[in-house]
Amino acid sequence: MAVREVHLQQVLGAVVRDRKGRRVGRLEEVRAEAHGAHLEVTEWHLGSYAAFERLAAWSIGRAVLNLFGAAGHAYRVPWDKLDLKDVKRPVLRCPVSDLEVID
Amino acid sequence: MKKIFEISLAIVTSIGGFLEIGSLSTAVQAGVGFGFQLTWAIVLGTICVIFLVEMAGRFAAVSHHTIPDAIRERFGFNFFVIAFLTVAIVNFLVLSAEIGGVGLALQFATGVSYQWWAIPVAFAAWLLLWKGTFGLIEKGVSLLGLITLCFVVAAILLGPSWKEVGAGAIPTLPDHDRAHYWFLCVSILGASISPYLFFFYSSGAIEDKWDKSYLWPNRIIAVLGMSFGGTIAVGALIVAAMVFRPRGIEELSALYPVALILTPQFAFWGFVLVTASIGIACFGAALELALEQAYLVAQGFGWNWGEDLPPASDPGFNLVHTAAVFLSALPIAAGLDPFKLTNFSMALTAASLPVSVVPFLFLMNDEVFVGEFRNGWFGNAGVLFVIALGFVLAVVTIPLQVFGS
Amino acid sequence: MNLIRDVLDKQVLDRDQKKLGKVDGLVLVFGKGPPRVAFIEMGSVVLARRLGPRFGRVVARFCTFLGGEGAGEPYRVPWSKVKDVGIDVEIDLAIADTPLDDWQEWLRKKLLRRKARA
Repeated sequence: MAVREVHLQQVLGAVVRDRKGRRVGRLEEVRAEAHGAHLEVTEWHLGSYAAFERLAAWSIGRAVLNLFGAAGHAYRVPWDKLDLKDVKRPVLRCPVSDLEVID
Repeated sequence: MKKIFEISLAIVTSIGGFLEIGSLSTAVQAGVGFGFQLTWAIVLGTICVIFLVEMAGRFAAVSHHTIPDAIRERFGFNFFVIAFLTVAIVNFLVLSAEIGGVGLALQFATGVSYQWWAIPVAFAAWLLLWKGTFGLIEKGVSLLGLITLCFVVAAILLGPSWKEVGAGAIPTLPDHDRAHYWFLCVSILGASISPYLFFFYSSGAIEDKWDKSYLWPNRIIAVLGMSFGGTIAVGALIVAAMVFRPRGIEELSALYPVALILTPQFAFWGFVLVTASIGIACFGAALELALEQAYLVAQGFGWNWGEDLPPASDPGFNLVHTAAVFLSALPIAAGLDPFKLTNFSMALTAASLPVSVVPFLFLMNDEVFVGEFRNGWFGNAGVLFVIALGFVLAVVTIPLQVFGS
Repeated sequence: MNLIRDVLDKQVLDRDQKKLGKVDGLVLVFGKGPPRVAFIEMGSVVLARRLGPRFGRVVARFCTFLGGEGAGEPYRVPWSKVKDVGIDVEIDLAIADTPLDDWQEWLRKKLLRRKARA
């Protein structure tokens, strides 16, 4: 299988849609874990993007977004459930209902 | 014992370093135009800066990050560029105004126009930044800045009605020249709540290697230092109100009359005191601003930085403060009026507040950075108030600049 | 760890605790199995690309003009060289082994030594 490089900072903030083209959220975070000498992606986090690139003061960030009714849902997406062949248009490989909601 | 000495020295340098061209010019204009009526704006600005400075020190001591560094790290490069450009442009204008202030003081002393002094002042600032240490710049020059206490002494000697001064600490509406009143209010707040003040304070805390043991000293320094510093600005307002208004001067279109503001109390020495006060205060502020430009760039891009390091260790950092100080001298050397530039830059500072204070609110609540030392409801309420004030100022600044300056 | 929160835009220190720069970018490699973090990217070209691809190309051309072939490419640190990710990202390299300090070294040689001679 051909090896492909993706620049993470270019994927950050991309709108993720489901197979039917409906918007699910924006790519906000990537979780990774060490496996031996490698650091492997375990899940992608989707959420609202709002004014800042990432509202990492998570609780206050979501509080502010909730205040403006802009919070939406945040989802955990397992690494293999996101199709990043087109980094500008990532697509979910499973139904939204299968995703875990992040509180 | 050592810590008590450090706290005392830091309070004293905060006092000495408070007054600069913006706070002096706006306080004098306020006194001239509206008597004691705008005292409340200085009080409000001082209270706001106490909140922000205390938080900046706490943030640096606990997280071992400066504010620009943390803004890049937490909000990403794209947002950092917006904050960086906004603060850097405002700093550039204020630094120009400070160099102009030193030039004016030298003009008072020598009769040679401030324009001719711009490049020599920039050179002197560069030399001190190149050869000096952080301690010398922060403490040495600020200690000399204690000369600005002459405004407080003069205010007391003038024997104002303290009841009227106290009444001025409560916001009231003007009965004349409303646009100018509110423009001065915006400018005073911009002079007091400058982003460079609390950004620089966080960098200084890292330069001085603060840790959690400095949390209480930081609180004392922020409250006492800024309070006494604000008192000097109020002193300048009182003196301006009591010296100029009885003589029929109710508006200033330049800073030249300020040269004589203390002569009724101190005769020739009053002129010497004002000249020295403006010169030293503005020079100290110019040093801080030039350093702050270098801190912004170095911390945002991850370069080596430190005023105590020899230039060979951080040539990029030194290049930035060198460029900052000489580039900022150019508008003054070209003849731009320091008085007009000061008014404009203070108003712009006020308008730019949301860009720097909003991310700061998030940082002060971030568990990863500040952990258990994050803001409580009181601190957050204070910052939210400053943000709300900043948004209002951002909206009204341009119309007031057009109609009220 | 969270790559964006805990790694991207963090300060990078070399093996002697000197500041190299920031983690300006991260490169993921997609192949068989989970994507892996392959490189940290650093440099002005990476930052410029984050602001826009066109701006990135302009900066890359400018860097090539100043520094020659290769200067317009980002500097990559293999993830295997990362020793620790904490307050800062520590890597097992010395700054002198990277091109990241070249421009500051040029300043040292050209401006500081000239001043010393004066």
